[in-house]
Amino acid sequence: MKFGKKAFGGLVFICLLLALAACSSGDKSSGGSSDEASGDGKSITIFQSKVEISDQLEELAKKYTDETGVKVEIWGTTGDDYFSQLQIKLNSEQGPSIFTLGNEREAEKLKSYLYDMSDRDYVKNIAPNMALKQGDKLVGIPYGVEGFGLVYNKDLVSPEDVKDYDSFVSTMKKLKGEDVNPISLSQEAFFLIGHMSNYPFALQDDYKSYIDKLSAGDVSMADTEEFQEFGKFMEAIKTYAPNPMDVTYDEEMGDFATGKTAMVHQGNWSYGMLSDYDVDFDIGMMPFPLMGNDKLAVGVGGNWAVNGNKSEEEIKAANDFLEWLHTSETGKKYIVEKFGFIPAMTNIEANDLDPLSQAVLDASNSGETIPWAINYYPAGVIQNDLTPAAQQFFLDEKMKGNDFIKDMDKAWDNATK
Amino acid sequence: MTRRKHWAWFLLFTGPLLIIFLTVVIVPFIVGSFYSFFQWDGISANPKVFTGFENYIKLLDDPRFMESAWATVKFTIFSVISVNVVGLTFALFVTSKLKISNTARTMFFMPYLIGGLILGYIWQFVFSDVFKLIGEMTGLDSIFFNWLLDQDFALYALVFVFTWQMAGYVMIIYITGLQGIPNDIIEASRIDGASTWQQLRKITFPLLMPAFTISLFLTLSQAFKIYDVNLSLTNGGPANATELFAMNIFNEIFGYGNYGYGQAKAIVFFIIVAVLALTQVYITKKREVEM
Repeated sequence: MKFGKKAFGGLVFICLLLALAACSSGDKSSGGSSDEASGDGKSITIFQSKVEISDQLEELAKKYTDETGVKVEIWGTTGDDYFSQLQIKLNSEQGPSIFTLGNEREAEKLKSYLYDMSDRDYVKNIAPNMALKQGDKLVGIPYGVEGFGLVYNKDLVSPEDVKDYDSFVSTMKKLKGEDVNPISLSQEAFFLIGHMSNYPFALQDDYKSYIDKLSAGDVSMADTEEFQEFGKFMEAIKTYAPNPMDVTYDEEMGDFATGKTAMVHQGNWSYGMLSDYDVDFDIGMMPFPLMGNDKLAVGVGGNWAVNGNKSEEEIKAANDFLEWLHTSETGKKYIVEKFGFIPAMTNIEANDLDPLSQAVLDASNSGETIPWAINYYPAGVIQNDLTPAAQQFFLDEKMKGNDFIKDMDKAWDNATK
Repeated sequence: MTRRKHWAWFLLFTGPLLIIFLTVVIVPFIVGSFYSFFQWDGISANPKVFTGFENYIKLLDDPRFMESAWATVKFTIFSVISVNVVGLTFALFVTSKLKISNTARTMFFMPYLIGGLILGYIWQFVFSDVFKLIGEMTGLDSIFFNWLLDQDFALYALVFVFTWQMAGYVMIIYITGLQGIPNDIIEASRIDGASTWQQLRKITFPLLMPAFTISLFLTLSQAFKIYDVNLSLTNGGPANATELFAMNIFNEIFGYGNYGYGQAKAIVFFIIVAVLALTQVYITKKREVEM
């Protein structure tokens, strides 16, 4: 009877496996109302898109746990493909309790997961027109205001020399003669084309209706003056700058910090990287001079959203965390000092900002800004379609700026068909 | 009594495996085929619209998918040849009576133990920094430049890294095959005056056919399904030139959010791989000789 015992053990093992399988499928069918054992409000999870605040957020989470006993788990962030990753996690019913929403297009896509925060107290402090809304629901709290433009080395260039296409090109020529990289982009989707492509859109009289018309096929970029000039700018950058495909964000900022590059197209977020170097020159941010543009592009880079598909306790815990983040002294201090955000909340004051953030805040306060049209792009168009087109442009030496604009038209059609 | 005993043993050993296979392969496959007839963005709360075979018809008119298919075919042909040639060479080398053969065997096998993702990142560094440096130092910049920035060479770079990873593995299979060839046949041929090449062609290769079958099958299906090295080395770039099948499907589903359409691609992908692999096994099996 020796065998009988072993076989019995084996059968028990199999039964256990079956039971496990049954459990996990049972969870799925319950609609994910409590898909984690920890759905009791004692712990929450955060998955957010900004790589540069990951460490600081971990620190803050520890402080929150010490203060309240609620465990906060921060999931690693992936950068460019954040939105795909988020969809995968939400889909497999293992979504985080708090996540980042980039813009209204993403909100539209994930609307079944969004929690309406309108009746919470802390959202009353959001600066006017800064909250992310979906219909009359308030679904996202802005991280903060962000801006981008040409970040420049004050020893090498001055804004007077970069006013329009002609002065831009002659400045680049002059710098090249002095053995300095005049300008640098980098290979990441947003730094290669995402932010750059914002200018010709943002300079339209009404960028939203322009984008709608473009998606409907009523207009084309190739026939629009701003895009024609944008093509010329990109061609000039290709001529004078190192091939962006060969440059990573780290290298771009490293070369800028060590004085090898005079200008980089970046935003105030890049200061975090510069502060790691002992930069011995003054840094400023100036507008990118497309069509003589003299304004910085300022907008909201990301929004905190709460997963409405979680258990009630977990939703409450998530809201408590956001409330603490935006109203407690520690939370406010972290937003401004550690994350380096320019707050979009009326109850948070910004003091001692770094020079780039100060430039963005000044622009924002004076109203001398152009919008972030990228927030109204079809979801995913930058990573999926515009980036391959831009890669093609930078790799093919013979390709002209106007051919690139035609490719961008094709890429846009592909994304909206 | 004995019959039932056998049945219990059978269940004990195959049961756990069967359950795992069922839950992670068969069930998703059936569910996936089901979704391929719908238009759906992959978010559970959003509506699924039944479209019949529309997804499959759309496939034929998708230039990006066709380009990706062509790139995958090229990649597979190149890698099957190079992995097996290199693997067999390694195997012949380490079964010869050289002193370093044991060390060599370990070294050749090592890359297989490194995960594809890490390997891709290592080689990304080699191609983008080391290659450029060598090119600048030696002046041979027509060979040593950043391969990952050239639309043709990026694919060769993938083949190169895949070969580097897989050659050691098929080497082991070939070694087993080589050691299974009885010494007396080889000695007899030597007495009959066969040259080394004749020995290889007339005795070693025919008797190695079973090893060829399994190695070709493994490399063929692995190369077709490759994703990890593709992701970390080129991420489909530059300008989608190296977006292979698996990555194309992933991007369709999670980049564009076309869940149903991506599933249709995956089903077509499965059929192609299955047909190719089975044909290959059928052909090489026929060439195996009995001793």
